[in-house]
Amino acid sequence: MEFKLSDDAIMIRNVASEYLKEKCTGAFLREMARDDRGFSRTMWREIAELGWLGILYDEEYGGSAAGFLDMFVIFEEMGKVLFPSPLFCSAILSGLIISEAGSESCRSVHLPAIIRGDEIFTTALLDERGKIDCDDPILAATESSKGVYAMQGTRLLVPYAHVADRMIVCAKAAGAAGEGSTLFQVEKGAGQEIVPLETMSGGKTFALVFEGTEVHSDSIIGTVGQGAVYIHRILPKVIALKCAEMLGGLQRVVAMTVGYVKERRQFGAPLGSLQAVQHHCADMATYLETTRLIAYQAASLISEGLPCEKEVAMAKAWCSDAYKQATWIGHQLHGGIGFTEEYDLHFFYKHAKESELAFGDARSHRAAVADFMGI
Amino acid sequence: MRFHFTEEQEAFRREVRDFLREERDAGTFATDVGELVGRPSLEFSRKLAKRGWIGMTWPRQYGGQGRSYVDKMILNEELMKVQAPIGYHFAADRQVGPALMIFGAEWQKEFFLPRIIRAEEHMKFCLLFSEPGAGSDLVAVSTRAEKDGDHYVINGQKVWTSGGHEADYGWMLARTNLDSSVPKHQGCSEFIIDMKTPGITVRPVINMAGEHSFNEVFFDGVRIDRKYLVGKENAGFQQIMAQMDYERAGIERLLQNYPIYERLIGHVRKMDKGGGDQGFYYWVRDQVAQLEIEFNVGRLLCYQTAWIIDQGRKPSSEAALTKAFCTQYEQRLNDLATRILGPLSQIKKGGPWSAFDGLPARGYLWGPSYTLQGGSVEVLKNILAQRGLGLPRR
Repeated sequence: MEFKLSDDAIMIRNVASEYLKEKCTGAFLREMARDDRGFSRTMWREIAELGWLGILYDEEYGGSAAGFLDMFVIFEEMGKVLFPSPLFCSAILSGLIISEAGSESCRSVHLPAIIRGDEIFTTALLDERGKIDCDDPILAATESSKGVYAMQGTRLLVPYAHVADRMIVCAKAAGAAGEGSTLFQVEKGAGQEIVPLETMSGGKTFALVFEGTEVHSDSIIGTVGQGAVYIHRILPKVIALKCAEMLGGLQRVVAMTVGYVKERRQFGAPLGSLQAVQHHCADMATYLETTRLIAYQAASLISEGLPCEKEVAMAKAWCSDAYKQATWIGHQLHGGIGFTEEYDLHFFYKHAKESELAFGDARSHRAAVADFMGI
Repeated sequence: MRFHFTEEQEAFRREVRDFLREERDAGTFATDVGELVGRPSLEFSRKLAKRGWIGMTWPRQYGGQGRSYVDKMILNEELMKVQAPIGYHFAADRQVGPALMIFGAEWQKEFFLPRIIRAEEHMKFCLLFSEPGAGSDLVAVSTRAEKDGDHYVINGQKVWTSGGHEADYGWMLARTNLDSSVPKHQGCSEFIIDMKTPGITVRPVINMAGEHSFNEVFFDGVRIDRKYLVGKENAGFQQIMAQMDYERAGIERLLQNYPIYERLIGHVRKMDKGGGDQGFYYWVRDQVAQLEIEFNVGRLLCYQTAWIIDQGRKPSSEAALTKAFCTQYEQRLNDLATRILGPLSQIKKGGPWSAFDGLPARGYLWGPSYTLQGGSVEVLKNILAQRGLGLPRR
């Protein structure tokens, strides 16, 4: 057992931390919330130059093929400041799908552009019930004429759809080439409606409505009928990185709160000298340390190519509850000031809830753990 | 970061498991739950001693194996999972030995360390810390050890002394500076007490599980040679703080009821998934999965604490966090087991209708002690907040 990062990973973390601390301030977050695009093009170019988009990919595509933990620590740092960008939906979710499912030509066409940040991809996994329906998609792609499908259905909570060059969906295909869960990459165009959704956490997310959208068969990624297989293969990495982001946010909440109760004075003493406050902080520290271990366990196994599905489920289950509970304690200890827009704590409260609900909450991953236990 | 063990460590774990399986099959011991560690058995401790499994982490110069705390935790994990009878040497191995190595006089090291390591006769230790007036507030100890020439004379009373009735020696904290102007934490000393010394009375205290595990120990004019002082006079409280970290760092805090957990999983695996009460079944799955995650988290916390010690650092706030977390898991495990097994889980051992041979009934009765013994959860959270997070004391 080894409970510290390699020197390389620490270095990458320090670079990320310096960069993000300086640029991604509370003021910046508020500016991006008001901004139509929702992220900074300059910073997008800068992180592409830093190589953040290519960490998971081979050098032949312009990636650095660095270890999974390097990506994990970057996500941790991004989580600390809630850095808004299409990195997750483009270079992680979509990039991994293309990497896993795409033919050699598909990969060589799209991955370099994704990794350079020249192209922004997003992936639309949720149906109109808010569920990941890839096993039996409600979204339909029916062959209307030779090599052309008509896509019909709705996708919800699609990140950055408004700026995405291409969108990946998993639809139920029906046609000469075969049937079943199939991945398509769709360009923006006729027969689609992109509707902005205003959510609690305020990120740029959209509804995508396909009304008989024409999609060519050469936009199919991988084999017809295998869409769900590809998605399930990449989900552990995706979820582990989401846990990294949650870990970062949780760290910040604890730091913010402990800092606050050391400063804030009531009853003639720092709030942090009261035992109830100390116990709440101890609980937060426990949430943080336990989350750190269970999340790094999943990531470490992934980085070594070892079986990890149960550990990923355990991590997401644990993180989902721990991060959220920590934000509740954080708010309780901050009192009124934490409830203002002006104070930064609410960003993390909202992020914790959004993260909890993304890719399966604690209950759904506990069910997966139960499956792995054979009970 | 690495979350698995080396080949050697896995081989070591298998070696321990094989040994325990043989012993259990031979009827040397039976797996039960309840006390923190299994019953004292000189014979069993000797078997471990022969394999170098006592004092594993002690330096070779003291007869130890110089192995890592992670290795020791692997050994302890396997021993605790089956509740092997290690009670004879456990306290001495865990904290008496390490304390003597740091603070002990030469004669104490030469006398006790080899005897502990070899599990010789008359080497069982108990801990004499708590008093009626000093539980969580350990610094309030009032049992006094007053110097009288070449002796100390001890008067006072200890309580919650686990295994005191079977101990050969006691490891004691007593007040040696009675000057009330001296801060309380600067007036205590540590002593080794021969439990056969005249003037010591051990009286059983029956716990709510109906068992005799701990005791009151009375000291009435007990004269001990001053050579039994450990370390510096009046530095006892400081000396003890490091020992507390070791006391709290163990995986025993997570595994006291492991036999119940193991059987519970087996029981749930055999549950009727098709018919019956579907709502109950899915609730059980959800609850047991949560326990499994907590168990995994607790296990990582324990191994990380061992690793921290191996790095040469003191794990004070980490050990406190770990113990608080693990002991609360233990309580939830027992509670959940009774709720899953239902009313029959109340039936104690000995009848044909008890669930799991009465293990849950016994485990649940011991439950309140888990979050109290060795530092209550509240004290541990204070430590975590003050030492770990730097929050100010009142």
